[in-house]
Amino acid sequence: MGARSLQAQQTAVEVAGQNLANVNNPAYARQRVQIQTSTTVQTTLGQQGTGVQVTAIQQVRNALLDNQVTGEMSVGGYWNSQQSGLQSAQVGLGEYIDSTSGTATSTDGATSGIADDLSGLFSAFQGVATSPESLTQRQLLMSNAQTLASRLNQTSANLADVKTTLNQSLDGNVKDANQLLSDIAGLNKSIADAEAPGGSQANDLRDLRQSKLESLSNLINFTSSTGDNGAVNITVDGNQLVSDSSVTDTLQSYDAGGGQMLIRTATGGTPLNLTGGQMKGTIDARDGALATLQSGLDTLASQLITQVNAVHGAGYGMNGTTGAKFFNGSDASDISVNSALVSDPSLVQAAGAPGASGDNSVALALAQLADAPQAGLGNQTFSESYDQTVAGLGYALNNANTQVTDSGKVQDMLSQQRDSVSGVSIDEEMTNLIGFQKAYAASAKLITTIDTMLDTVLNMKV
Amino acid sequence: MRVTGNYFSQAFVNQVNSLSGRQQRLQNEISTGQRISAPEDDPAAVQRTLDLQANQKAVTQYGNNIATLQTRVTSSFNAITAVKTVSDRAGEIATLADGTRSPDDLKTYATEVTQMIKQAVQSMNGKDGDSYLFGGTQTNQPPFVMTTDADGNVTGVTYQGNSSVADKEIASGVTVTADVPGANTSGTGAHGVITDSRTGADFFNHLISLQNHLLAGDSSAVQTTDAPALRSDENNLISQISNNGGVQTQLETAQTSNTKNSTDLTQMVSTQADADITDTIVQLNQAQYAYQAALQSGAGIMQKSLLDYLP
Repeated sequence: MGARSLQAQQTAVEVAGQNLANVNNPAYARQRVQIQTSTTVQTTLGQQGTGVQVTAIQQVRNALLDNQVTGEMSVGGYWNSQQSGLQSAQVGLGEYIDSTSGTATSTDGATSGIADDLSGLFSAFQGVATSPESLTQRQLLMSNAQTLASRLNQTSANLADVKTTLNQSLDGNVKDANQLLSDIAGLNKSIADAEAPGGSQANDLRDLRQSKLESLSNLINFTSSTGDNGAVNITVDGNQLVSDSSVTDTLQSYDAGGGQMLIRTATGGTPLNLTGGQMKGTIDARDGALATLQSGLDTLASQLITQVNAVHGAGYGMNGTTGAKFFNGSDASDISVNSALVSDPSLVQAAGAPGASGDNSVALALAQLADAPQAGLGNQTFSESYDQTVAGLGYALNNANTQVTDSGKVQDMLSQQRDSVSGVSIDEEMTNLIGFQKAYAASAKLITTIDTMLDTVLNMKV
Repeated sequence: MRVTGNYFSQAFVNQVNSLSGRQQRLQNEISTGQRISAPEDDPAAVQRTLDLQANQKAVTQYGNNIATLQTRVTSSFNAITAVKTVSDRAGEIATLADGTRSPDDLKTYATEVTQMIKQAVQSMNGKDGDSYLFGGTQTNQPPFVMTTDADGNVTGVTYQGNSSVADKEIASGVTVTADVPGANTSGTGAHGVITDSRTGADFFNHLISLQNHLLAGDSSAVQTTDAPALRSDENNLISQISNNGGVQTQLETAQTSNTKNSTDLTQMVSTQADADITDTIVQLNQAQYAYQAALQSGAGIMQKSLLDYLP
């Protein structure tokens, strides 16, 4: 009886030690020794106890909280990846408010974004309209127009880079998710083996699997069901990916045309209808706010090219030349100023009639485009349309920021709730440790006492 | 509720992170003086600010336009008044050159008139920068070309500009016609300074006629033909001067409203984008206190455990 008690207390001390060792392991759930009295024996006096025995080492987990944490991970993953995608887009756009910039003269050349450059172009048209015979004003117009065109090119390239990066991160996510699927299937097998009839609960393997499930949920939202043997089966959009101990299907990224990378299963041909997780967030950021931003810029650039060229083409240069384009290109990626005009600004067609260098009617019409609502831009002026495009990105990112904060709070709350159930408390373990140590000493004392009693008996002189 | 080591440290880290994030944001607002910078900060305010800044730039440009035009109109004014002085003296000579003058006197007057024609042509060929003032929209060549004979007498002055003038924008949708053509015989548009078919003005030809009559000693022709013709020229010049004054007044009014507009817009941008420094500093102080308190209390609690009291 004393030996059994010693053994039981020692196991309890070891479990406390294991808990203390894992106090900083976030995936760990604290474990408890289940102690009960060992079988009694029938004596003439009645039932007599035979001490204590350890029946199981159990982990303290709340399945409901685990599921909630797993589910929230995919919400967090979704908004986090949206946030980072849109932040890159915001950096790529490079439009920041400097409240002092508007007060500086628009002709100083130092501009801070497309909005500034756009105003600069129209101001330069005004400058030419006011002094149509001034070459200085024409040179300034060329310089401002080139600044705008190259800023549009640069921004368009930046945004295309952001799109490429998002596609690449999608590929990375798919690789990670497939690795996790195979890990989970492997753990399913290990857990089933360890818990086979007669075996005990595989606490540490379950901890590991739970953390893998959470990582997977962060990447992609899935539904899971638990089999009789403790295996977790994973299904995404009706496609079973993990069944028992085998991976039945894997994820795959593919180009759905035009660089739109989407996710499908290796055996199914159609894109998966994702509902959460980083992959969905990346796709939504790319096809949502980023795509709107890109098309907004392209529409702006193409309208600018069309409208400016239409007015400019009908005018006359200082030497009577006519019909030249002002802008070449078709959208934000390839807009450029006609190089002939750049090398000789006197060719800018500011006049409404040939041979009248003081005629400014075309330059004035170009300047007045600034305030003219454009049918191709939803009846907004160029500036208004661009400002709305910027605000559109701002709203999307602002929303993502709020959602990230919110889902972070929910995650914190859930993991704190889970910690309060499953987390290791040093004070609690120390208290247990002292209790078990005391019990161990007492059991040892029992053995010494019985030993002394036996000695007494053996040394009795008849 | 059971509070564990992880629980406590995680909650602590979250709280401290959120407080330092808040401090960073407020500090940034104070150092830049701006409430918003990136579109994500406040999309609606960013949109309004960008709109207002575009207006601001346009208003600045209109201000530049007004300044440019003021210089030009002042140059025109000086040229027209110089011609007016010539017209005044020509009128005097036409009155003085009556039958009582000897042919030599009249010749002396003729020489003076010749000089005056040359002076007036020079004034009318004045430039503002690269641009001739009185050529209509034909601003790249001198509007008036003078021909003289072997004796240096003026035989003709021809106008090689046109009668159209450019409209310049001085505020959104507001244009002003700052220029006047040297001559307008089309019967429409702005009146010509020297020659105008509607008022009958033809100053240079009338001066040449005066010069020729004086040379010929024909004082009666001077009295009957030239004197009345010069009077109608003078009236035309007076109306040109008052017209120029009108344009100057218009430009001054536009400048005043432009300055006011610019101030208003600056204030509106400031309302949208600028931080309320006092308020922000108070908020920063609060955040700093909370941060310090969190660090102090958290550090105190985290250091202690049952271990400290076990023998």
